[in-house]
Amino acid sequence: MMRPVLAVVLNTYREVVRNKILYAILFYAVLLVLTGHFFADVSLNQERRILFDVGLGLISLFAVVLCLFAGTSIIYKEIEKKTIFLIVPRAISRGQFLLGKWGGLFLAMAVIITAMFLILLLQVWFLKLHPEVALLKGVLLVYLEVALLIAVALFFSSFSSPVITGMLTIGFFVIGRLLPDLKQILFTKYQADAFRTVAEELLQVLPHFYLYVPSGHDFNGHTLSLTTDFVTWAYVGWAFLYTLLMCALILIIAAGVFRRRDLA
Amino acid sequence: MTEPLPLEITHVHKKFKTGFLSLRTAVAVTDLSLQLHTNEIVGLLGPNGAGKTTTLKMVTGLIFPSSGQVRLYDQPVDRRAARARMGFLPENPYFYDYLTAEEFLQMACGLADMPLAGRGVRVTEMLKKLGIHHARALPMRKFSKGMLQRAGLAAALIHDPDLVILDEPLSGLDPIGRRDFREIILDLKRAGKTVLFSSHILPDVEDLCDRVAIIVKGRLREEGSLADLLEHGTRNTDIEVHCPHGQGEVLAREFPSLDRAETLSGFRLGVPVGTGLQGVLRRLLELDFEIQSVRPHRISLEDLFVAHAQAAGPREEPGSPEGPSPGSRSGGEEVAP
Repeated sequence: MMRPVLAVVLNTYREVVRNKILYAILFYAVLLVLTGHFFADVSLNQERRILFDVGLGLISLFAVVLCLFAGTSIIYKEIEKKTIFLIVPRAISRGQFLLGKWGGLFLAMAVIITAMFLILLLQVWFLKLHPEVALLKGVLLVYLEVALLIAVALFFSSFSSPVITGMLTIGFFVIGRLLPDLKQILFTKYQADAFRTVAEELLQVLPHFYLYVPSGHDFNGHTLSLTTDFVTWAYVGWAFLYTLLMCALILIIAAGVFRRRDLA
Repeated sequence: MTEPLPLEITHVHKKFKTGFLSLRTAVAVTDLSLQLHTNEIVGLLGPNGAGKTTTLKMVTGLIFPSSGQVRLYDQPVDRRAARARMGFLPENPYFYDYLTAEEFLQMACGLADMPLAGRGVRVTEMLKKLGIHHARALPMRKFSKGMLQRAGLAAALIHDPDLVILDEPLSGLDPIGRRDFREIILDLKRAGKTVLFSSHILPDVEDLCDRVAIIVKGRLREEGSLADLLEHGTRNTDIEVHCPHGQGEVLAREFPSLDRAETLSGFRLGVPVGTGLQGVLRRLLELDFEIQSVRPHRISLEDLFVAHAQAAGPREEPGSPEGPSPGSRSGGEEVAP
């Protein structure tokens, strides 16, 4: 039953990595080296903190951009190029097809993120800086962020064009990143009425992308930093569970939408 | 217990929403019913835009009927288990450019839920059978149209399906390719498989099919064995006569009820069966016409095809070769929203 899914996973992975998308890794490496050299000169012994922040921030940025680039057209291209005609008539359900696309794109992104993370570690080693376990936690959160973002992009691409998919995915991503601020605005600007209740509930069900970029203070008042005090392993574990559930939910809804779509 | 029918299409209608805000409806297929029995080759015939490809897309689960049912081996087509016994070659198959033929067939094995063990042997076997083994490591973007068609057929047959659906399998092939494909289709029948294919290359259909179904403007116009269909057709006897200049009027006056067609050297008269062939011949000789040939004319599949196409009314603007699709009127009667 999983063999057809694995076939789609492998094919999607090949599609992504045989594209020019891997050049992004090279670009990342160049940017990181330049960043290291530049900030080493101007940061007054803060190069470790800056390298960690910039390095991980760039991984997240690259991953999100690549994800949007590849994810928004991933179903559309199959239909437009009619390659889906070779897949859907086979022993695979449309839900499995979507799962395979999600898996393949995530696998490709995971390879790219891992490569970028290794480059970051190389740079840390090259500059004779001490690595932190927080870096590992940070990159794990990027994997999770990408997994959720791919699911959101797949959901929209299961019924709309790449342009609409791109706009909606970016919209959901930005709102998801700004959710705590939006909740705060809602709380301070509006009184506790029906509108606020509905709006709060709505924000609650939107993907919580802010979970993957913890910043500021945690609940105990500790300042979160990659070099001093970052999130706990329990936080990463809860984020993992949240991502798993949200991805499953989104893909189930996407499969429901895609199941009755005419692939003409 | 009897084996369920490989394919059963029951009163299928297909409409597409078209136009701005999808307020208009194009009818692509109307009340189509068709059954395929085990181990037969059935040809789906029809002019461009008749609804052949739409029908095959419904049979393969790519699109869904607006009403009616499509069942494969007594299961709805949207069940995976039903489609597992089917192989499909779409018209002008499109491929992943970045894959080699070998990788593509490996993927086809996976999609067919075949176990890993034995895939390599099967892939090699199919590549050799379809004559593209030499190009197995080549990216498919470098394949010619004929090679792509062969790769598509290899993928359709990789899991040894019981029911094979082929959409215009012989179009775009050179004579050798057509011969090879015909041979493979006949091999499938010898192996007990069931084949449904669409085509408008009529000689191939006549060579291969046990039965044909003729679709025009989304409706099934005729269906049956070739022998039965052609038996029902009227038969003429064609008489070719040499006719000096000006003598054509004599023929028109003497035989007003016969079909007349002008030829290079005279006229061809069509005498329907049972309307006094001998009397016509005798009269021609009395009038001193030179009779060049007398040939019984048996209705051909082409005659039948053309007759149905003409009976359905003037041809609409041909659309895409795939027949009606959303946004296209070809082949479908436009009805009010």
